[in-house]
Amino acid sequence: MMRTIEVLIVIIIITGAFIAASFFAVLPWPRQVSPVNLRRLAFTTLQMLDSNYDLSRAAFETENYTIWGGLQIALSASLPPNVIYNLTVYEVTGETTQLYTFIDSMSNAESLGVTSDASSYMVASSNVTFNVVPEKIGEHSGGGGTLYILNCSDAPGWWITGYTAQSLAQDLYNLLSPYFSNTIMVQNTAQLGQILGNTSLQGETVQNAVVINTCGEAVPIPTAYCTTPYSNDGYAYYNWFLGQRVRQYNWTWASIVGYPFYYVSNIGYFTGQNDWGIYGMKAVYAAGLNSFLRGLNGQGYVTDTIGWITSELTSVPLSTDAIYYSNYYGIYPAPYQTATRALPVGITSAYNLAVTTSLFDPVSGYRAGAVYRNNVSGGFLALGLTRTPDIRLTALGLLADYKPRLYRSEYTAKGTSRIVVLQLGLVGGA
Amino acid sequence: MVSSTIDHMVAVTVFLAATLLFIGLFNQTIQTAVIYQRHRATATKASDLLDNMLLSPGIPVNWGQTDIVPTGFGLQDPEFTQYRISPFSLMRLNSSTGTPVYYPKTGLTYSNITMGFGQSLLVPFSSTLNYSTALRLLGINGTYGFSLTMTPIVTVSISEVQSNPLTLSINVFGAGSPLAYAEVSYCFMIIKGREGGAYPSYTIDYGTTLANSAGVASLVFPGFDGTEDSYVIIAYAHLSGLVGVGYHEHVVYDENYVVPFVSNFETGEVLLAHSWDVHGGDHPAEIAYNATFVLLSEDFTLREMPLDNETGKIVGKLNYGQDPQHAYNNLTINTHNPGILIVTYSKSAVESGVVIMPWGISSLAFPVTFGGDSSKQEWVATDMRQVIVGGIAYQAKIALWSLEGYQVVG
Repeated sequence: MMRTIEVLIVIIIITGAFIAASFFAVLPWPRQVSPVNLRRLAFTTLQMLDSNYDLSRAAFETENYTIWGGLQIALSASLPPNVIYNLTVYEVTGETTQLYTFIDSMSNAESLGVTSDASSYMVASSNVTFNVVPEKIGEHSGGGGTLYILNCSDAPGWWITGYTAQSLAQDLYNLLSPYFSNTIMVQNTAQLGQILGNTSLQGETVQNAVVINTCGEAVPIPTAYCTTPYSNDGYAYYNWFLGQRVRQYNWTWASIVGYPFYYVSNIGYFTGQNDWGIYGMKAVYAAGLNSFLRGLNGQGYVTDTIGWITSELTSVPLSTDAIYYSNYYGIYPAPYQTATRALPVGITSAYNLAVTTSLFDPVSGYRAGAVYRNNVSGGFLALGLTRTPDIRLTALGLLADYKPRLYRSEYTAKGTSRIVVLQLGLVGGA
Repeated sequence: MVSSTIDHMVAVTVFLAATLLFIGLFNQTIQTAVIYQRHRATATKASDLLDNMLLSPGIPVNWGQTDIVPTGFGLQDPEFTQYRISPFSLMRLNSSTGTPVYYPKTGLTYSNITMGFGQSLLVPFSSTLNYSTALRLLGINGTYGFSLTMTPIVTVSISEVQSNPLTLSINVFGAGSPLAYAEVSYCFMIIKGREGGAYPSYTIDYGTTLANSAGVASLVFPGFDGTEDSYVIIAYAHLSGLVGVGYHEHVVYDENYVVPFVSNFETGEVLLAHSWDVHGGDHPAEIAYNATFVLLSEDFTLREMPLDNETGKIVGKLNYGQDPQHAYNNLTINTHNPGILIVTYSKSAVESGVVIMPWGISSLAFPVTFGGDSSKQEWVATDMRQVIVGGIAYQAKIALWSLEGYQVVG
């Protein structure tokens, strides 16, 4: 009888253990098993609301009911109906005793319930100026520092589809003028003729300048140069002359897209069209580039017999150097580009050129974009990419080549930063 | 002695019976806990997987703008950080909702996202990323299944209130409530048939307006009778970082129309086909078309970007039943900025219409559903994020389920 009693005692003990285990090991509600990640939802909501800096603006203008109310409408509209929220803005005081001071808050519920989570997001005031002073190109070398942007109103462009030469010139001006001592918009072909004759337009230094041709595959030609000998061989001689001038003045000539020097353009002189319906230009074909390179190399003019030298590479990635300078100067073109007019690497030996900046690494013996410098004088930025031109690449190529330094000023976060906390909760359902 | 033996036998029998009973009971308790843990792991995996997809651009980073098969799956826009999604990578996902379209002239089958007449995105299967490849690239082949849904947060619905003069009502709604006082910018295009020319022509009018407290804006176009001419309106609504897009079109002729197919993501090549060759129909006839492209600029206004006539036919004629070499025309969109291809067509001076196609999924706020069917699964974990796709606010939702075959208890 004793054994049976012992067994019954064991059964009672195991039953107790089972009841205790069952009490703790119950299947939780689906919401607890598979909760919506409210923390990430809150964070991505804040990021989305700040995608155009609207959240930053609202966080610093909580007393402006239009902006603050707009934020509340957007917040309510962006969250699912079963999600309730509380958004609070704090000032970052920087004091040792209290880091954050309450500024304002908004909510669509009295309480966020038992299941809630929050994310915080730091915003900066639009009044904060993160001052960056760029070094001026030519400032310390004693010469040059002039940027000429060919903005010739009497010269149409080609392969700049979607833009006009004038709109590209303005964008280039905005991007690059802080880095140069003088930035001159060359307004017409007559002014181009002036600088080709070493006459300054506004008292700037003509020598050692950078000249950006915004007309794409076309090059503006002053009317005075539309005669012989410049018109020889369908104006190939004019391009040879340009190469010679680039060498003589130690210019850096920038071709922003396509096949360089493929056309010459002057709307007042050329009355015909270029077979594609664009009036005011004349095709020089591949002889233009070959003649320019001969001029840049200090060789005499000969009628071109080389012909077409570029190749198609389709998709080419930015080089490591280009990505580095892209981050340094804050200029972010697409990391992959389509190159249909890449120059052969062989031009460096043929014309005594050195690649001082390579925007794209060579592929199959062709380079999609680089700055070439002659071993005596003169440089040439060639971007053999397909249209539509991205002038950020031109700016990046020039800055990566000249490497002007950026002097960044220090700033403090006190009074210029606020923290926005969004707390989310769920209502309804199991 | 006998009583002791009986005591032993009874005790052993009772003990064995009790042991078997408790093994069963404990087993059930343990199974419940194991299933809880597995469900919890699936939910955690869902959250991780969604972040993996949204916070990585994939390999190569620009796979959405090419036709190659990526070696790493990710949807982030390579030009941005955080939850900014590439509108072109989303275009390359094989839609799991639309009925595929077969076009006999190219011999290809196309993934189909259609939002209504003349509002479609057709991408060849050969250029899309399919579900099984995505599973392999994510390393979950055979262990998990998923469904990814990208839905625009802001719905901009446009309806016709009155035909003459044309009066339109624009309703702007968010996920939870109306987007009151939202600013609305629009592009209104009127299509004229082949009046005095071989091709249809169009006029584009741009403007802005403001929604009221209910998120409703009204537009009146004096002097325009909506029953006489075809038109299309595309409207962007924005408020405090929340941006949405909607569109509405009215066509006076839809028996024969143009069907645009994406042909090549890298070069931006689009095929323009005759509808009869794709969908069939009655009274087939030759149609002429005139195409253009509009972009959403940073100030939320729409801007026309002329298409390149050199690399395709911006204007042309399409006839039905032609041999494959002459059945369709090509045109090229020379940009990888999101925009809208608008193709006007006409059969005669009074029979005209318009079709639109997004270039970059966000430009017309098309929703995307990619992956398997979650409705047949026993237990599904879900999670969501708010993301920006080409400037438009979207909600990314994932549904994830385990393929390891355990059951639900409790």
